[in-house]
Amino acid sequence: MWRFAIQNLVSRPLRSLLALAGLSVAIAGMVGLFSVAEGIDRMVSDTFGRIPGLAIMQAGAPLPLFSRLPASWAQEIAEIDGVGVVNPEVWSRVNLIEGERVIAPPRFLFGTSIAERQKLETDVYRDAMVQGRFLDQTDRHQLHTVISRQIAEDNEVGIGDQLSINGDEFTIVGIYHCGQLMLDVSIIVDIDVVRRLTRFEPNSACAFYVEPDGTIDNEQLAERIREKFRGREIESGGSIAGAMATGNPLIDLLLAIQNWLTGGTPTRGSETVDAEAEPIEVRTSDDWAERFDEFSSDLNLFLSVMTSIGVLIAVLSIINTMLMSVTERIIDFGILKANGWSRRDVMMLITCESAVLGVAGGVIGCGLGLVGTEFVNSTWPDRLQLYASPQLLAFALLFSAALGIAGGLYPATWAMRLSPMEAIRRG
Amino acid sequence: MTQASPVHSIEIEDLTKEFTIGPTTVRALQGVTARIDGGSFQFVLGPSGSGKSTLLYLLGALDRPSGGSIAIDGRLINELSREEQDRFRRTEVGFVFQSFNLLGNLTALDNVLAPFLPIGVSGELHQRAEDLLVHVGLADRQRHRPGELSGGEQQRVAIARALLKQPKLVLADEPTGELDHRTGAEVMGYLRDLREELGTTVVVVTHDESYIEPGDATLRLRDGLVVSD
Repeated sequence: MWRFAIQNLVSRPLRSLLALAGLSVAIAGMVGLFSVAEGIDRMVSDTFGRIPGLAIMQAGAPLPLFSRLPASWAQEIAEIDGVGVVNPEVWSRVNLIEGERVIAPPRFLFGTSIAERQKLETDVYRDAMVQGRFLDQTDRHQLHTVISRQIAEDNEVGIGDQLSINGDEFTIVGIYHCGQLMLDVSIIVDIDVVRRLTRFEPNSACAFYVEPDGTIDNEQLAERIREKFRGREIESGGSIAGAMATGNPLIDLLLAIQNWLTGGTPTRGSETVDAEAEPIEVRTSDDWAERFDEFSSDLNLFLSVMTSIGVLIAVLSIINTMLMSVTERIIDFGILKANGWSRRDVMMLITCESAVLGVAGGVIGCGLGLVGTEFVNSTWPDRLQLYASPQLLAFALLFSAALGIAGGLYPATWAMRLSPMEAIRRG
Repeated sequence: MTQASPVHSIEIEDLTKEFTIGPTTVRALQGVTARIDGGSFQFVLGPSGSGKSTLLYLLGALDRPSGGSIAIDGRLINELSREEQDRFRRTEVGFVFQSFNLLGNLTALDNVLAPFLPIGVSGELHQRAEDLLVHVGLADRQRHRPGELSGGEQQRVAIARALLKQPKLVLADEPTGELDHRTGAEVMGYLRDLREELGTTVVVVTHDESYIEPGDATLRLRDGLVVSD
C-alpha cells in the first residue's frame, strides 16, 4: 500500500513537490519561530543556573540597571543569618565604545566591589575567564576592566589594550567568555570608578548580590531579608523615573510609562511610608526564571498565531494537491473498487499519500529550520541565540505528519463515497 | 488461493435501474428477467443505451438495482452488505473493460496484483501473476507500464488481472471495442480458454456479433428490456 502511495506521488512530481515545498516552508517557519522562544528559555535557565545567589533590588525595578538602594544596607544585609557575601553592584548603560554609538547589542558598565567579589565562592565572570586575569585589589580606583570575548572581538582589542568607553580610556586586564547573551554584555570595572564616571550617588548602589552561606535555603533567606527591610524607606532622593534615568531616551520613556502604569514607587524620604511596604525585591534564580517564563509564554502565544498562518496555508496546499490528485484519478478508484477494494482501502491509500507528504515535509522542514537556526546563531552570535530542541523537532515532525493526514482526509472521504460504476463510466 | 466453485446459475428477476441526472430520471433497465447458465459463454447484445453495461455492472455488484433481484446460485447479490460486495468482487468476479482500465502508475505485474494490494501479496500470488502474464504472452513486458504497452497488450494485462483471482464469473464490457479484429479474437480466445479450463461463467457485452460462436448464449436488450434470448 505504501509503495503504491509513493508511486502515485512520484508519478505527479511537480504537484507533489509544490505541496511538499509548501509544507516544508511552514514547518521550517514553525521550527524557526519557536526556536526563538526555546532559545530564550535555554538562555535564561543557563544564565540563572550559573548564578546561585540572590539579587536584591529596589521594589518595582525590572532590572538592576533601574534600581537604587542605599549602599549602607549592604552591611545590614551582611548581618542577617544565612548571608555569606554581599556584593554591591552599580550598573550603567554604555553609549559609546571606541567613539561608536552602542545600540544593539547593549553593553553595560558593571561596577562591582572588588574586595567583596573576591570573597564569592562562585563568580560567573571570574569562573569564565579565558585570557588575562580577573579584577583584584590593584585595580581599585583604576580605569581597568574585564570585558567579554565578544566585546574584545567586536573592537579588535586584547589584553593590555586600551578601550574607549563613553569617552574614558580603560585598560583591558582580562577577557571572559560565558557564551550567553545576557552575561557577555558586561564591562566589569571597580564600583567606585563607575560611580565616579557616571556621577552615580556615592552612597548608593543599584543592587546587591548575596551569596548565601548555605545554612538555610534561598527562599527562607529571601524572606529574612524582606522582613529586615519591610516598612523602610529609600532615602536616596529623586523620583523613581529620575533615579532610573539611563541616558537612553527610548528606555527612559518606557520606564516612565511603566512607572506611570504601576503607580510609581515611594522613594522620597519626606513621604509617609506604609509599615508593610516592601522597599526591596529579593529575587532568586527561580524568580528570574519565572519572570522570563511569563514573557516566554506570551511570546509563544504570539509565535503560535504567526505559525498558524503558515500552517493554514500548508494545509490548504495539501488539500488542494490531494483533491486535484483524487479528481484526476476517479477512474482509478473505480477500477480499484471494481477489483474488490473497499471504501476503507481507498481512503487508506489517499491518507497514506498525504501522510507521506506530511512526513517528508516534516523532515525537510525540520532540516531547514535546524540549518536556519544554526545559520542565525553563527551569523549574529552576540544578538540572537536560537535553539531548536529535539523535542521541538519531534513535535514539528509529528505535527507535519498529522497535518498531512488531516489534509488528505477530505479528499479521501470524497473519493471513498464515489460509486465505482459512476467512476468507471466517467472513463 | 483456490478457485471459487463454479456458478450453477444466475437468476435475474424483474431487474430495474434508474439514474437521476438533474431533473431527469433515466430508466436504464425497465424490468429485465433472464437466466444465465453456469459455465456458459453469454453474450449481451444491443445498441448503445440499451442497458447492457448497466446490467453487467449490476451483475458484478458495482451498483445496486432500483428494483428486482440478481441471485447467483440462490444468493441475492443486491442484498449483500457493502463489505460482502467488496469481498465478492475481490474473490469471485473478474472484470474486463473496453478501455482496459489499467492503473497508469503501476507496472503490468503490479496491475495484475492490484486487487490484492490492500490485503497483502504473498510470494505464491506474485508467482502466479508472473505465470499468468507469461501465459498471455507478456513474459518480457511485466515491468512495463500501461503507457508502454499496445492496446492488445493492455487488454491482456486486464485479462491476467481478472484471471489471477480464479473467478467463478468474468464480466467483460466491450473487451474488443478498442482492438483490431485479430487482437480482439485473441482476447476472446483467452476468455474462451478460461471457460474451458476452469468452467468459469463468462458474460460479454458487445456490439460486435462476429465473435459469437455456435453454442454461445445470447441476451439481446433494447431500451432496457429483453427483446430475445
